[in-house]
Amino acid sequence: MRNTLRAAVGVFAALVVLGLVFPDSLFGLVTDTGTAEAALRLAVPITLAALGGIFAEKSGVINIGLEGLLIVSAFAGVAAVKLLGTGSSVGPIPSIWVAFLVGVLASTLLALLFAVVCIEFEADQIIAGLAVWLVALGIAPFASVVLFGTKNVQVSTLGDISIPVLSTIPYFGDVVFSANVIVYMMFVAVPACWYVLNRTQFGRWVEASGENPSALDTAGVSVDRVRYASVLISGVLAGIGGAALSLGHVGAFTAGGATMVNGKGFIAIATYLFGNYNPLGTLVATLLFSGLDSLQIGLQQAGIAIPSELVQTIPYVTVIVVLVFVGRTRIPAAAGDHYDSGEDSR
Amino acid sequence: MSKYRRALERLVDASAKERIAVSAAALALSILVGALVVFVSGIVATCASPAFSVLGVDVCYDPINVFTELFLGALGHPEQGGWSPTNYRIAIALQQTTLLIFTGLAVAVSFRAGLFNIGVQGQLVFGALAAAVATIWAGAIAPTGILGTVFLVPLGLLAGAIAGGLYGALPGALKAYGGANEVITTIMLNFIASNVAYVLVSTFLMPESSQLVQTAVIPAAAKIPNVPFIGFEARDAFSLLALLGALAFITGIAYLLAKTSFGYDIRTSGLQEEAAAYSGVDAKRTTVLSMALSGALAGVGGAVWVLMVKGRFLTGLPSLGFDGITVSILAGNNPIGVGAAAFLFGVLKSGTIAVDFSTDVPVELVDVLRGLIILFVAMPEFFRLIGKRYLGLGGEQRA
Repeated sequence: MRNTLRAAVGVFAALVVLGLVFPDSLFGLVTDTGTAEAALRLAVPITLAALGGIFAEKSGVINIGLEGLLIVSAFAGVAAVKLLGTGSSVGPIPSIWVAFLVGVLASTLLALLFAVVCIEFEADQIIAGLAVWLVALGIAPFASVVLFGTKNVQVSTLGDISIPVLSTIPYFGDVVFSANVIVYMMFVAVPACWYVLNRTQFGRWVEASGENPSALDTAGVSVDRVRYASVLISGVLAGIGGAALSLGHVGAFTAGGATMVNGKGFIAIATYLFGNYNPLGTLVATLLFSGLDSLQIGLQQAGIAIPSELVQTIPYVTVIVVLVFVGRTRIPAAAGDHYDSGEDSR
Repeated sequence: MSKYRRALERLVDASAKERIAVSAAALALSILVGALVVFVSGIVATCASPAFSVLGVDVCYDPINVFTELFLGALGHPEQGGWSPTNYRIAIALQQTTLLIFTGLAVAVSFRAGLFNIGVQGQLVFGALAAAVATIWAGAIAPTGILGTVFLVPLGLLAGAIAGGLYGALPGALKAYGGANEVITTIMLNFIASNVAYVLVSTFLMPESSQLVQTAVIPAAAKIPNVPFIGFEARDAFSLLALLGALAFITGIAYLLAKTSFGYDIRTSGLQEEAAAYSGVDAKRTTVLSMALSGALAGVGGAVWVLMVKGRFLTGLPSLGFDGITVSILAGNNPIGVGAAAFLFGVLKSGTIAVDFSTDVPVELVDVLRGLIILFVAMPEFFRLIGKRYLGLGGEQRA
């Protein structure tokens, strides 16, 4: 596992060096600021969904419905901007930020439904997760057509924030410190989640709930409560990711086919498995995927004679390759199982 | 009353019957929630001529009308006069039933083996493409007429089965020998399949004159023939022969699962992996083979889509693979149940056209229903609880 991650970082570093040395060659794409900025932006929804997935799965609830959470939050955010009116504000808060919260709320509510179905009604987590995805895949296009008569809704975006001084650092300052708001959210969320999971009481409860729920139960902590909290956290985080996806840079929701989310929720699962449930490792894995994705976009713009549909498959192929190499990541012992404390005889 | 209650109690206790009851209840609840969704969105939506008004609020869609169209309009309104059992809408419903039987069986086989093959859609895509390519190539040397049909149709189905089977075996092997979670790999393979098929067709297989990304038309002899004199017309793109074939597949898979040693391997792996290993089941081999069988069934479904419905391969296939998941879950992964659930979904598909034709509700409603059905079927405990708490059923059987 360590070695795979190291190898991945190594390959990426080698590409960066090649790009710096030969900026005009194909490798130049790797260090192109446009590519790097796109990579960071593309990483945001995947990273946040993955962080959510880590909480849920570590607590024992495999949340395969992350894709669905991204879809509803991406749509709800855009729909709220449209309904509130672009450029208006609710009290002192600009409407786009209210809409952002609406997106997060939508995802959290769907996550709550998922939690109830899994914890209260002992549903098979995989099937319930698929249901979350399919419900979202149905409801977002449906609502889009009902509300706006179209499957493609355009709104404004959150835009970039430039941090003085830091953004003038050569090489990476412009990319990292003059970035879209959502990129900063990601850079705050990753260490925050790492801290909660590794340095707090709640983090230990989450771990115990997934590894040895009966021990947690014996210690007097309700397994169900820890799992509810963890799944809700996954809803909040994926919601931030989804709203960031549609409102951050794109400013639109497209509901055709697999919607604009287009598998990001599933890629997120692959990245946290790759990162072995560690938020920092997950961020590295996501940057690898999003780096490939933005390279792919760069390759298309450079007019390379490979059909773009073929190049688009690179991130998906990478997910499979990665899973084969890290497939034996040990998942939490009690993940996927319902925990019955045996106390509440209904 | 007590007799009625005893009957219901048996229903709650018996596991096979319980599954049917749960599926029926889930279906009913989905329709109820779906009707609520239609009603609420009817209030939210703006329209020139509202269907009706409640307390001065204009409601754009009439849920009763929508669901009447969805189920009765789907069959060409049998409640009205002048109805014929071979009308166009029935043909569409049965056409979709036929296709969904294959994808439903594909999902059922994998789920019974304890494998979540979400990649049926991708396997269907390659099965369809292979069937089109094989029949177009062989069409050059094949005789025309009935002789050609006897040669080309089985060839197309076989090509579909092989392509789908190989594309299904791939995630099986990745799981067995690489430990890669099949849920994720099969979903990734769906994305890859549609893109690769697009590139293959647009680069190598597209006729010069074509505007759409599609192959040439398959030879006339390769189309699955209609049964003469039964009344479905050629333009319906439905053949009773194909439906009979699909029913034969149901029987075959039911037999395979229940009576053969491979079926035993599949079922025990699905129920209890370790027990299966102790009883001498080669887990890795079973994983690969059951995924291959699942993919092959999906591939045959894709082949039927080409040979019966479209007469060529074109990109942007309908989501038969995802609907297959719903069909199989609704059927409790039971092959016979798949037949019934596929018919229900065939009706929903035909009903989608009726809803689009006669109401203003967005047709995406059916996708919402699909999600709701899976969600509710996934929680049998909910219905058991309702049954126990509010209907006084079931006694204390639950530990």
